[in-house]
Amino acid sequence: MTSIAIKGDYLEKGHMEATKSSTHNIDRKNAEKRNLSILRVSSILGFFLIWQSIGWLNEAMTWFNPVYLPTPLAILQAGIEMAADGTLWANIFISLQRIFAGVFIGTLLAFIVAILFVKFKKVKALINPIFNFIGPIPVIALLPAVVIWFGIGESSKLIIIAFSTFMVVLSYALDGMKNTDPLLIRSAMSLGANSYQVFTKVIIKSAMPNIFSGIKASLSGSFAAMVVAEMMGATSGLGYVIINAKAWFKMNNMFLAIVMIGLLYTLFYFIITMLEGYLFRWKGSVDNAIE
Amino acid sequence: MGLQINNLCKGFDVVNGQMKYVLNNINLKIETGQFICILGKSGSGKSTLLNLLAGYLKADLGNITVDDVIVDGPDADRGVVFQHHALFPWFTVEENIGFGPKVAGQSKEEIKKLTDYYIDLVGLDGYAEKYPNSLSGGMAQRVGIARALANDPKVLLMDEPLGALDALTRDNMRKELERIWSATKKTVVFITHSVPEAVYLADRVIVLKEGQVDMDLKIDLPRPRDAGDAKFVSYVTKLEEKLTDGAITEMINE
Repeated sequence: MTSIAIKGDYLEKGHMEATKSSTHNIDRKNAEKRNLSILRVSSILGFFLIWQSIGWLNEAMTWFNPVYLPTPLAILQAGIEMAADGTLWANIFISLQRIFAGVFIGTLLAFIVAILFVKFKKVKALINPIFNFIGPIPVIALLPAVVIWFGIGESSKLIIIAFSTFMVVLSYALDGMKNTDPLLIRSAMSLGANSYQVFTKVIIKSAMPNIFSGIKASLSGSFAAMVVAEMMGATSGLGYVIINAKAWFKMNNMFLAIVMIGLLYTLFYFIITMLEGYLFRWKGSVDNAIE
Repeated sequence: MGLQINNLCKGFDVVNGQMKYVLNNINLKIETGQFICILGKSGSGKSTLLNLLAGYLKADLGNITVDDVIVDGPDADRGVVFQHHALFPWFTVEENIGFGPKVAGQSKEEIKKLTDYYIDLVGLDGYAEKYPNSLSGGMAQRVGIARALANDPKVLLMDEPLGALDALTRDNMRKELERIWSATKKTVVFITHSVPEAVYLADRVIVLKEGQVDMDLKIDLPRPRDAGDAKFVSYVTKLEEKLTDGAITEMINE
C-alpha cells in the first residue's frame, strides 16, 4: 500500500521526472551481486584445490620431488608454525607498515608536485624533464645506490617504495588536473570563486578520482619495490622471509611468504577500491549503464 | 543603470588581411528587471555575445557595463546558466546551490537559509542530498538556475538552458522559468534559437544576424502568454520571417 501511495505522490508532482526502480529489480540486482561474490570465492578456493590435487597426485605418481612444490596444506602447516612463534605476524606487520607509509608518502609528494606543476608552468618546464628521464628507470636498478646512500634502515625502503608510487601517481594527477571540464571552471568563476577557490573546489576535486586510479596503477610496482627492498639488506618483512627461506631451503616458508604477498596486495587493493566507492559516490557506477 | 552594451566588437579570425568580426558594433541598453531574448541562427554571434557578457571573452572594441561598472572577467554579479547544466558532480544539490554564498564567505546558517529557499523556489524539495548524476535533465537545469539565483546576481545570463531538454520538459520548464522570473524580477539575457520560446518569455527580443542587431522587438503581451493567441502567432511569424530572412522572398524574386 505504501508503495502505491508513494507512486501516487510522484504522479501528482508530474513535473518531477522521478524514476523509481521497482523492488523486483532491486531483488534481482542483489541476487546477481550475491552470485558474483560466490563466483569470486569459488575461484580462489578452486585454485588452491587444483594445486593441492596436483600435490596429492604427485605423491601417488612420484613425478618430482614434492619438496620443490609445497602443497597448500604444507604451506598452511608452515604458516601455523610461524604464527605460533610470532615471526609470521611480525613480518607481515612490518611489510604492511612499509607499503602503507611508502605509498602514502609517494602519493602525497606526487599530489604536491602536481599542484606546483599546474600552478607554476616554469617549475614544470624546469623539473619535469628530469622526472621523465629517471621515471622509466626500474627502481630495482636504483636500490643498491639508495642502500649505499641511506643505509639498510627503514628510510631506504620507504624511499624506494615512495619513489615508485610517486612517478606513476604524478602523471595521473597531472592528467586529472589538466582534464578538468573548462565549463566547471567557468561556472565556478561566475559564482564568484577566486582562482584559489577554483583550484581547491574544482580542479583538485575533479582530479581526485584520477589520483586514486594512479595509486591503483602504481600498486603492483610499489609492491615489487617493497619485496626487492626487503630482499636486499633487510632482516624483516616478507621479502626477507623469501630470501631467508632460500638460504635454508625451506620451500614451505618461501611459498607462505609468496602467498602472503598476494593476499596483502589483494587486501590493499580492496581497501583502496572501498575508499574510492565512498569518496566518489557522486560518480554513477558503470554497472548502471544498462540494467 | 541596468545593462549596457556599447560599440561591442569581437573577432577571432583574420580573413584576407582583415579581422572578421563575429560581433560588429553592438549597442544595447537593457533596463533592470527586463527579460531579453537573443535570437539568432547558429553563427550569428549570440553565444559569443553571452560569453562576452559573462566575461569569459574580452572585447576587441567597446565595452559592457552593469550598473555603470565595466565588465572585466567573470564575476558573481552576472550569474550564468549553461545549456549543459555544468553542475559540480562532486557536490550535492544543496552544496551546488550553496556554492556562491559559500565562496563569498557567508555563514553556515545563512547558506542553509538560502539553499532551502531556492530549493523550494525551483520545486526540488526532497532532493537536497542528491548528486547531480542522479537527476534528470530538467531537474539538473532547475538546480543550475537555483545555483545562479542563490548568488543574487544583478543579471542572469542563460545560454540556451532548455536546449538539451526534451519537448515536454522544455514546455514545462518555460512556464517554470516565467514563474521563477516573476518571483525574483532579475534582469535576464536569454539565448535561444526557438522563436516561440522567445515570444513566450521575453519582454523584448533581439535578433542577431551576422554579428549585428537585425531587429529589436518589444513583445507587448500580457503574461502568462498563450501560444495559440492571434497576437502571439503574429509575433512568431514576424520573427520567423526575419530569421529566415529573405531566403524565401529571394527565391520568389529569382
